[in-house]
Amino acid sequence: MSANPVGFVKEYWRILLLAIFIAFALVALFIPGGIMADDSLVGDLEEDEANQSVEERMTNIEYGIGLDGGTRVSAPPTGMMVDNIDLESEQHSELESSLYTELGLETADATVRHHEDEDRYTAEVFVDDVSAADFAAVIAEYDADVSEDDVENGVTQDTRDEMIRTIELRVNEAGLSGGQVYQEATVEGSYYIVTEVPGMSPEELRELLSDRGDVQVVAYYPDEDGNQTNETVLHGEDDFSRVGVASYNDEHGHNYVPVNVDDTEDADGNSAASEYQAAMNEYGFTSEGVQQCGIQDHEAGEFTFDHDQPQWCLLTVVDGEVVDAHSMGDSLGNSMASGDWANDPTFEMITPTQQDAHQLAVNLESGALTAPLDFDRQQTFSVEPALADQFKTYSLLIGILSVLTVSGMVFLRYRNPRVAAPMVITAMSEVLILLGFAALIRMPLDLSHVAGFIAVVGTGVDDLVIIADEVMDDGEVSSQRVFESRFRKAFWVIGAAAATTIIAMSPLAVMSLGDLRGFAIITILGVLIGVLVTRPAYGNILQRLLTDK
Amino acid sequence: MGYFDVPDISYTRYTNRQLAAVPLAVLAVALLILSGSFLITGTPVPLGMDFAGGAELTVQTTSSQAEIEEAFSVEPDSVQGIQAPGVENQYTVQFAGVEDQDAIQELSNQAEAELVQDGDNEIVQQESTASPSFAAQTQQTALLGLGVAFAGMSVLAFLLFRTFVPSIAIVASAFSDLMIPLAFMSIADIPLSLGTVAALLMLIGYSVDSDILLNTHILRRGGDFYESTYRATKTGVTMTVTSMAAMLVMGIAATLFGVELLASIGIILFVGLAADLMNTYLLNLSLLRWYKFHGVRS
Repeated sequence: MSANPVGFVKEYWRILLLAIFIAFALVALFIPGGIMADDSLVGDLEEDEANQSVEERMTNIEYGIGLDGGTRVSAPPTGMMVDNIDLESEQHSELESSLYTELGLETADATVRHHEDEDRYTAEVFVDDVSAADFAAVIAEYDADVSEDDVENGVTQDTRDEMIRTIELRVNEAGLSGGQVYQEATVEGSYYIVTEVPGMSPEELRELLSDRGDVQVVAYYPDEDGNQTNETVLHGEDDFSRVGVASYNDEHGHNYVPVNVDDTEDADGNSAASEYQAAMNEYGFTSEGVQQCGIQDHEAGEFTFDHDQPQWCLLTVVDGEVVDAHSMGDSLGNSMASGDWANDPTFEMITPTQQDAHQLAVNLESGALTAPLDFDRQQTFSVEPALADQFKTYSLLIGILSVLTVSGMVFLRYRNPRVAAPMVITAMSEVLILLGFAALIRMPLDLSHVAGFIAVVGTGVDDLVIIADEVMDDGEVSSQRVFESRFRKAFWVIGAAAATTIIAMSPLAVMSLGDLRGFAIITILGVLIGVLVTRPAYGNILQRLLTDK
Repeated sequence: MGYFDVPDISYTRYTNRQLAAVPLAVLAVALLILSGSFLITGTPVPLGMDFAGGAELTVQTTSSQAEIEEAFSVEPDSVQGIQAPGVENQYTVQFAGVEDQDAIQELSNQAEAELVQDGDNEIVQQESTASPSFAAQTQQTALLGLGVAFAGMSVLAFLLFRTFVPSIAIVASAFSDLMIPLAFMSIADIPLSLGTVAALLMLIGYSVDSDILLNTHILRRGGDFYESTYRATKTGVTMTVTSMAAMLVMGIAATLFGVELLASIGIILFVGLAADLMNTYLLNLSLLRWYKFHGVRS
């Protein structure tokens, strides 16, 4: 052939391009760390888990839950909202309390948000047993323009963002890496929150998602008239600045979560810590109330609120349920009474069991789920790791069988290995490049992607047959010019076919049809890589093999 | 072993009406089946769990198939043993169209309670549930997706050929390519799932391939009509038959292994591609021949 390197590149640039792509794909697939080394993900793993996974993994391919085991739960947030409410700024909290009192809501079940950039207010309630009419009626007291028709199902983007953050924190707290939380829009414009966690069973994940996780510390004490009263003294993530891990106190034999109460002072010089301290002193917890709590039967795990003696108890309340009740200790009481405690505001939140302690730590750390998820409208998908491993083997087997079938057909049709062999190799290199690409962008592969790979091989071979027939049309490929002209003809058909496939697949790539998105994305990518890189290269290979006899 | 050759069909022996009659008759039968099924059951094709709500469980148990059928409060639509190499005692249990969300949630607990564990393996190996309202949402999205894809393909066909008859030939044969496998699903009682929707979309892409090839050869190249047709057929039939073979192998293997998604894609594409062979080389071709010999001049 031509000794001139420029001429060589000009004539065979398609093959060279293919070679470069294959080289990149191989690096992305097999060199640990790949092209874009990103150790941050591995760093999150437990030490031994990381070592194990490095040993197990031959390639940089990441697997989704369908091929690796795990659970995915999709469910919409419960609630309804009214947008664009016209309010004076001082009415903000008034509206919120009206919602609570007039609709009879529990804590955390309503919120009014101010969107500063557009100076509008939104009101949301996170329960499903309030009617839209009642909800609108409360708001209409403040903004007469609001009617029942303004009530939308669903919650605001802010609420969904908060929910996603909370769920992410919970998944991380559970010690499992690789979890994903995101929202998906439906055709009707409502949203689902999707949580995917590898290595978790559906029961575990549903439990993690169904707990609202609203933690309060309630003071239970006799007021001036001697009547026992409840008063929330610490609330949720707002009042705690740091939450430790669930621990066990050997000395006193209890499970607890060490917490720091927020001591950031506001404009008046008050902080959550100083207010808590003041409340404890005022209610008598640090004087007559020290060690005066006997309402909890620790053996039975029950509480009695029917007692003769006055009680000073600090109740830990999660989602409206009392988890634990304990008294003020001697030393803590003393340091509060002297006012020193607020300078180093830490204490231990005691829980009955280790599991409760862990749960409490998770809830305190992640905060409450702004709106509960509506499990009546959920979808769950879960695969055991063992079955997922089987699926990996099956996918590989099915893939190999399909490629063998295609190869067999092509050999039978052309009877000429010079035509058929490069066809099979080109089709397979397409899959290789796609796998490399998936590894590069860390796309987790699932069964739907495998289906996409097979579809790509299918369209790939179709196109290669078109190229082969066109290029070999009417005998010998005598010159470069003849080849180029025939190749252009073939390319028109291939390009048109590729465009239709991409158009047919693109709705799936953007719509939320779960599994099918992966299939569509891989098919579109495969068709693009095929038409732009691999299939033209096949033409070149064929030209070389047919002319250079 | 015989070689695979593309036969030279002597189109000259048949009139356009004769050629088009066969695919149109098949399409009519398909539409009849779909509308009949719609009248009887309320849906043209049986809806699977993805679109009707329900559950699909893969269980590993030493209980017998009959025991599995008895184990649930809702009667399963099907219990199918998985026949993969090295795998025993695995079954796929399907429940479609369960209206009660709580009943759906309970199914996996019932499996754990009623079935006998096989060694250390978890009983419920795979669990996939969708509440009826989620499924309704999915159904809507899928319909919209199919509609948009088909419309997009049609627009592109018109853009590519810019004349009515060849473009409508592509659209008509793609339509028929979708209806025939749907009718097949209705008869063979294959429920519509996300996998089958993927296959139908894929079919839009595949079906257009051979149509574009035929149209290009006949309309854009010089030479005799039958010569162009023969060349296009040779390439096109090779393409389609190769894909059909791959899909058949994939469909059978995936059915045996219990990989539902791949199985439905394989089977539906196989049927659809077979329909495409007929539609392209009888329906589309007759339209093109009419256009080439009569349509252009008038």
